[in-house]
Amino acid sequence: MEGQKQAAFNGGSLSGDLPLIVTAAHELKAPLSLVRQLALGLEAKTVSAAEQDRLLRQIILVSERALRLTTDLTRSSRLEDGLFELEPLNPVQICEEVAHELAPLYTARGREIRVASRHRPLLVVANRDLLRRIILNFGDNALHYADDRPVELKAGARMGGRTVRIGVRDRGPSIPNNVWKKVETHLGTGAQPLHTRPQSSGLGLLVAGQFALAMNGKLGANRHRDGTTFYVDLGASTQLSLL
Amino acid sequence: MTKPAMILIVEDDVWTAEQHIRTLEAAGFKASYVTSALEAMEQIDTHPPRLIVLDFLLTGQNAFTLLHELRSHTDLAGIPIILCTNSADALAEEDVAVYGVRRVLDKAAMQPDDLVAAVKKALL
Repeated sequence: MEGQKQAAFNGGSLSGDLPLIVTAAHELKAPLSLVRQLALGLEAKTVSAAEQDRLLRQIILVSERALRLTTDLTRSSRLEDGLFELEPLNPVQICEEVAHELAPLYTARGREIRVASRHRPLLVVANRDLLRRIILNFGDNALHYADDRPVELKAGARMGGRTVRIGVRDRGPSIPNNVWKKVETHLGTGAQPLHTRPQSSGLGLLVAGQFALAMNGKLGANRHRDGTTFYVDLGASTQLSLL
Repeated sequence: MTKPAMILIVEDDVWTAEQHIRTLEAAGFKASYVTSALEAMEQIDTHPPRLIVLDFLLTGQNAFTLLHELRSHTDLAGIPIILCTNSADALAEEDVAVYGVRRVLDKAAMQPDDLVAAVKKALL
């Protein structure tokens, strides 16, 4: 499986048809297009000063979103180097960091992101940067498909404490059966165009899956009647939590 | 959010929708937006617009669902549509004309004036 994924990032097929460069281009086109439209709005000089400030803020936030993806792609290409350390981490703390980082984007979009679980969790064995990027990816994806209800980040023990699951729950349109089957079959093994989730080519999911695999973890998803939870399962630390 | 208006924008990215509204209102049009095909049908049922600016890849049902729905109602089938999408290179205008699509605009390449010009032409 890992070999297939690496092959995909070396120019092979992600979803059977699309090479990586096409998928990446598709994924980046939407934010770049939006930045351009917002900049054209500024150029028109017909907007108020307050509206100008708002447009500038939107340009910054959309640019940051696009940059996160490009950074993830760069990071994923360097996974083979193995230049990352696994250490015991508090998953709730990571969730709170991610929620804090995404809060300006969520607020600007009139949405809310919050950490649902605040009790002391088991520590997870992970690389801080890779785990942050996985959750950022889930959180960024959830923003576009959640309705007015908050997106929740949650961490909890699984399998009698051997695994820690960190999930991002959005509430919005449900994924239809046919698309869900593709997600179930290919989650983490290839980018899947989710036609009910048009801003996602599945590339972010693929990259997040590679990050999870590099930490001996795996991605998964639960479909709910009113939304989806994307999660990563990682090994729990046997070290006693001192937090 | 969705007041009765002359032009209905169906666009799941709110910031893009707001930009379309700024552009159209600066040109003297009235416009409002909804973010899904389902909301669009509800809005169209209560306040049929003169024209629809439609994104192609929407959250939930995509544009074709809405286009089919509109074509199935004789009183709505004549509403002109402008597709405004990042997937314009995959859509030939002649293929979607049967759905009442008058113009396909590429969001990545269009100027604000292009939207205004397309709307004016479709409303002639």
